[in-house]
Amino acid sequence: MATFPEFISQNEERDGVRFSWNVWPSSRLEATRMVVPVAALVTPLRERPDLPPIQYEPVLCSRATCRAVLNPLCQVDYRAKLWACNFCYQRNQFPPTYAGISEVNQPAELLPQFSTIEYVVQRGPQMPLIFLYVVDTCMEDDDLQALKESLQMSLSLLPPTALVGLITFGRMVQVHELGCEGISKSYVFRGTKDLSAKQLQEMLGLTKPSAAQGARGQQAPQQPLSNRFLQPVQKIDMNLTDLLGELQRDPWPVTQGKRPLRSLGVAMSIAVGLLECTFPNTGARIMTFIGGPATQGPGMVVGDELKTPIRSWHDIEKDNAKYMKKATKHYEALASRASSNGHIMDVYACALDQTGLLEMKCCSNHTGGYMVMADSFNTSLFKQTFQRVFTKDVQGAFKMAFAATLEIKTSREIKVSGAIGPCVSLNAKGPCVSENEIGTGGTCQWKMCGLDQSTTLALYFEVVNQHNAPIPQGGRGALQFVTQYQHSSGQRRIRVTTTARNWADAQTQIQTIAASFDQEAAAILMARLAVQRAESEEGPDVLRWLDRQLIRLCQKFGDYHKDDPNSFRFSETFSLYPQFMFHLRRSPFLQVFNNSPDESSYYRHQFIRHDLTQALIMVQPVLYAYSFNGPPEPVLLDSSSILPDRILLMDTFFQILIYHGEMVAQWRKAGYQEMSEYENFRHLLQAPVDDAQELLHTRFPMPRYIDTEHGGSQARFLLSKVNPSQTHNNMYTWGQESGAPILTDDVSLQVFMDHLKKLAVSSAA
Amino acid sequence: YSQPFPNMSQLSTALGGLSGVPELEMEALMPVNLLQERSLLPVRPLEAPEPNLSSELKKVNCSPQTFRCTLSSIPQTQALLNKARLPLGLLLHPFRDLQQLPVITSNTIVRCRSCRTYINPFVSFLDQRRWKCNLCYRVNDVPDEFMYNPVTRSYGEPHKRPEVQNATVEFIASSDYMLRPPQPAVYLFVLDVSHNAVEAGYLQHFCDSLLDNLDKLPGDTRMRVGFLTFDSTVHFYNLQEGLSQPQMLVVSDIDDIFIPSHDSLMVSLKDSMELVKDLLGALPSMFRESRETHSALGPALQAAHQLMSPTGGRVSVFQTQLPSLGAGLLQSREDPNQRSSSKGVQHLGPATDFYKKLALDCSGQQIAVDLFLLSSQYADLASLACVSKYSAGSIFYYPSYHHVHNPAQRDKFRKDLDRYLSRKIGFEAVMRIRCTKGLSIHTFHGNFFVRSTDLLSLANVNPDSAFAVQMSIDDSLVDSSLACFQAALLYTSSKGKRRIRVHTLCLPVVSQLSDVFAGADVQAITCLLANMAIDRSVSSSLSDARDALLNAVVDGLSVYRNTVSSLQQHGLVAPDNLRLFPIYILALLKQKALRTGASTRLDERVFAMCEFKTQPLQQAMRMVYPDMYRIDTMSDQGALHLNDTVVPQPRLLHLSAERLSRDGAFLLDCGSVFYLWVGKCVNEMFIRDVLGCPNYASIPPNMTEIPELETTLSARVRAFLDWLQDNRAFSSLFYVVREDASANSSFFQHMVEDRSEMGLSYHEFLQNLLQQMSK
Ligand SMILES: [Zn+2]
Ligand SMILES: [Zn+2]
Repeated sequence: MATFPEFISQNEERDGVRFSWNVWPSSRLEATRMVVPVAALVTPLRERPDLPPIQYEPVLCSRATCRAVLNPLCQVDYRAKLWACNFCYQRNQFPPTYAGISEVNQPAELLPQFSTIEYVVQRGPQMPLIFLYVVDTCMEDDDLQALKESLQMSLSLLPPTALVGLITFGRMVQVHELGCEGISKSYVFRGTKDLSAKQLQEMLGLTKPSAAQGARGQQAPQQPLSNRFLQPVQKIDMNLTDLLGELQRDPWPVTQGKRPLRSLGVAMSIAVGLLECTFPNTGARIMTFIGGPATQGPGMVVGDELKTPIRSWHDIEKDNAKYMKKATKHYEALASRASSNGHIMDVYACALDQTGLLEMKCCSNHTGGYMVMADSFNTSLFKQTFQRVFTKDVQGAFKMAFAATLEIKTSREIKVSGAIGPCVSLNAKGPCVSENEIGTGGTCQWKMCGLDQSTTLALYFEVVNQHNAPIPQGGRGALQFVTQYQHSSGQRRIRVTTTARNWADAQTQIQTIAASFDQEAAAILMARLAVQRAESEEGPDVLRWLDRQLIRLCQKFGDYHKDDPNSFRFSETFSLYPQFMFHLRRSPFLQVFNNSPDESSYYRHQFIRHDLTQALIMVQPVLYAYSFNGPPEPVLLDSSSILPDRILLMDTFFQILIYHGEMVAQWRKAGYQEMSEYENFRHLLQAPVDDAQELLHTRFPMPRYIDTEHGGSQARFLLSKVNPSQTHNNMYTWGQESGAPILTDDVSLQVFMDHLKKLAVSSAA
Repeated sequence: YSQPFPNMSQLSTALGGLSGVPELEMEALMPVNLLQERSLLPVRPLEAPEPNLSSELKKVNCSPQTFRCTLSSIPQTQALLNKARLPLGLLLHPFRDLQQLPVITSNTIVRCRSCRTYINPFVSFLDQRRWKCNLCYRVNDVPDEFMYNPVTRSYGEPHKRPEVQNATVEFIASSDYMLRPPQPAVYLFVLDVSHNAVEAGYLQHFCDSLLDNLDKLPGDTRMRVGFLTFDSTVHFYNLQEGLSQPQMLVVSDIDDIFIPSHDSLMVSLKDSMELVKDLLGALPSMFRESRETHSALGPALQAAHQLMSPTGGRVSVFQTQLPSLGAGLLQSREDPNQRSSSKGVQHLGPATDFYKKLALDCSGQQIAVDLFLLSSQYADLASLACVSKYSAGSIFYYPSYHHVHNPAQRDKFRKDLDRYLSRKIGFEAVMRIRCTKGLSIHTFHGNFFVRSTDLLSLANVNPDSAFAVQMSIDDSLVDSSLACFQAALLYTSSKGKRRIRVHTLCLPVVSQLSDVFAGADVQAITCLLANMAIDRSVSSSLSDARDALLNAVVDGLSVYRNTVSSLQQHGLVAPDNLRLFPIYILALLKQKALRTGASTRLDERVFAMCEFKTQPLQQAMRMVYPDMYRIDTMSDQGALHLNDTVVPQPRLLHLSAERLSRDGAFLLDCGSVFYLWVGKCVNEMFIRDVLGCPNYASIPPNMTEIPELETTLSARVRAFLDWLQDNRAFSSLFYVVREDASANSSFFQHMVEDRSEMGLSYHEFLQNLLQQMSK
């Protein structure tokens, strides 16, 4: 058998699943003593270019309460043409089309390498992709110009059959009719009045047969595949390009000392309503571009008086955020409507000040939409990020998928408690559903309106097997993830992943279980729980909870003598875990100090949707060092890594930062890189830039790129991330011979670890 | 705004004490035995009577076309007026197109310090430096500036200043006459684009006409225009300069209408000319496929009001059906079975006060709403018209409008638009009527908002609308031999200048009843009575109004017989100047507005009523008693010679079938319609040379114009028709009616002296009068 690290990596490659534990404690009681629950990070559409889509439909278990999909773990009787469901043990007849199967002629879904398999559903209509642009016009002219160009560019990236629509807003909200000749036409709504989908449908005249249809006569009424507001891009791209080109800044005057009246809440409501009444249960993206906060109508987050600033964390703590609750309720209602119709809501917020992402976060988080935050539309951050939304895979299909549902089947011994990630519950009850809810629980099905190859759900399980009901020797717990989604080609597809893990008796085989610990997955799974808590609990409470869990884990799996901190040892499988927790505690996901509520919402949004690798970078940024002393190397995220003759490259996921040490900075200032005799210096300067470019080109959303140096104002971004191993509190003991002291009262990793050991070994705990 | 119609019959016995012997020499009072005299009509249409003034005053007096009084001699007291039992009132056409108008620019506009009367030809100069007001008799100083006469360029002749030499003058006003900077010319067009409107097909003609007239719209470089269209929703148009094409903004929330864009919906015509042209080019086809049957007129008007409020201006509404959605929606109130009822006519008043309220709001913001109704179905004009009535707008109605089926209406609409769009216009106007102390105004007729007892608010003023005013005599005029009336119209010209047009009329004051009678103006009296009757038919009932008309003629003739005429004649006599009084009243009783018995659509009746309220006298008289001529035998004898054209002047004929003959062709001029009735046996030359047809049988049944033929007869007929047409503001419909055609009946409806379902023949009517008088 391969080592656990190999096993974990193979499974992740093949199935896109990583478990906190890869051997499961076989009883409920023991499972709860593991501190970190049995849980998984599931990336349903993990990129699998080698996976051929199967052109038939899955075979299902005939038991009505099961309906699991035939998979390599099923027992097959080739002679009788029967298969036994590995979840409910039901014996099922193969369908007639499988008459020819035998040991040597097996369908793909029975082969072990197809533990993950993708089926293409043949029935049903091919649905067009729908992109509804919702565009703020209250912004400076050059911002608007940049946005218009990005939007025009995006049209060329859409498949020709995709339907597009345009809503613009400022003081009023305009729904644009597309393809009008000689005159442009739009329906205008007050920005202060919310409308139900039904009212909207009437006001847009979508209840009446259009004249064109009526005139064509007695054709059989078809499901209309487009309407005046949503039309195929191939038909109206010129028209829409012109329309976007003509877009002007909101014409209503804004008096001195006021914010423009921005009807974002109603605009989004109208977008949701329009799709709701025209394309329910069809994949669609509502892409909202905002240059500032909603200042009127439902969903407003701040008044129009400039002298009253938008709420801060301080205001929220003091219960002084006048509009927050009402606005949040508005956007939650919209998110709920959109998600129940399978529609994605993206928010691109580009402004120097906050725009209300705190209130709107549910729109992206519940629908699997993107949330992008930048200072201006006229930045490469926005432009590149937006362009990357339309990235295509090798088959030329968008990497985005639509209107997905994820269903879980479990063995009898284990049930699902809930999910944390960009999804909503479908409220599907069943034998797999645990009564203990974690995150979005009480269901075995979730809806993910939008997802891509990185979208990852954290799923938490509960072992329900009683202590006195032992599992037979060699028994395995199995899980099946069934993801149905609309592929960007318009096909409906079903991806099925079936995976199993061994049971172990925690009393006798605790070492086996401990050895199966995936500390990276565990860290992220615990971090998602902590972030989830942080949305509703006070910051210090969350930190206390996180600390308690860590101490308990140390107590359970550490090696130590009671009350002797120096004796504490952690095995290799746990060794990095405390460090992850240390950085998590300091991360913007849990610390709101120095962040605006919008920034916190933004960081949490990204954290809660990305896959493990990226989430880890977010928790514990990566630091590389470049020097004349050798090739670039990863170095500790520690202030001791900051040296005068080094260049550092830090990747926090959100930022790519190049930091030139004191000497390097001086050389650069002196212009040595221009001199031919110092070519190697030029190469040294160039190397991190090249590496940074590589990261900038692949990441979504595009990170902020920072080039700074010793003493530079932006160096603070580096200093705030590194472990303050040398601070003014302890610099006298460490001296100044190496490293740079950090001006912070944060405890260092050293202090944190010392504390942790003390508490873990304490008999009083 | 209307006051009770004074009941003539209440005054029945007030004449007992009268004893003076009238002056029989006076031609006007020559008795005419109506039962015997069969030819009462003058050869050519009646002229206004000349007031009995000195020749100098006559020379400078106001033109009767502008200013006219029902009694050209004013009774000294109300008691005398009561005795005469004739109505006292003014007919005013204050902004009519003039060939000649003295325009005065001076620093001080000289006015009476007490009553603010403008100096005029009828003041008296006590000496070089003092003048006495002719209305309140206050003595005022003559300002220094006035001592200089800009016309003669000499000093010391204040009485030769143009203000004192002309009864009609116009002043360029200073900023004292402005409450705000003069508004620019602003025009908003509000267009029905529902399915019904598309069917009627007016939009193409509207757009074509406006395109043709864009450069003729009155205004300067500040001129602004805007467009609204509506069906079940209201559509705005962003025409902001710089756009590549017009933007249509649809507002569906008609219950809560709002302006969807800032500052781009009313645009400078100069700057946005191309976009306006694009829009007018695109509009007709944009709605061709519309299935939208509803009409949200009320919300569209609310939107118009909001759009125009910052500036004021003119809103032109084109509506083709009953408004069916939103504020101001209306239900059909017409029972087609009651159209020819001889009993009361219901629903002459508005069904809702929405349109009146909106009009008053508009008026308050200096917005006038002109209504073009192009409807084939009942559209409740009685309600809709309020929007124009109270905002000083104009009302146009094209019943049975259809761009294909009704070419005559279509052509009239086109021509009317040409006039409408290019005619002169005044904005944010007020008109005050002052009169000699002792006289007062008690009721106004026309389209306006009455701001105070003598002041009308006119958000717009146009050259085609007239007004009528009922007067009473509060104090004896015994100290004065003359009475004066001054109408001053303060307005902003389309070029943004504040101007005041002043008309002053001077009339003698008389103490004798016979003199009052001798000065009676039968046409003015008829018009004023028509206005009064229309008010009464709305406030009381149609039959009351008709009774009052009958009483007016009975009373008038009784007074004459019993007191003015010394001859104790039997039968029915009238003074010569009132000899047409009975015939006019009979005609009025058979006019569409007031008739009973004949099938009359409610909207057409209401429209006729609206017309009486605003038409200038000459046009109104043609509506009452059309002019009829025989034209196949016209000669050049007595013809007018205008430039190169010889315009024949045939004599007027009584409106009776017995005046027609089968071998003749007769032209009936009803004001807005001409009928050319062609008898079966008319000379073939006429058919050939004038109608361009080989013979009678080949005259097409729906001929609506006569061809331009190179024949003497054709030229003569056309010269006459053109001359008639040129003397009116709006083009008239033209129908050729063959004697044997079914369209005959509409022609014969105008033969008011004959007995018909509408009532008695003239002879019977006279008998009836006689009977009434002997009661
Ligand atoms: Zn099963
Ligand atoms: Zn005076």
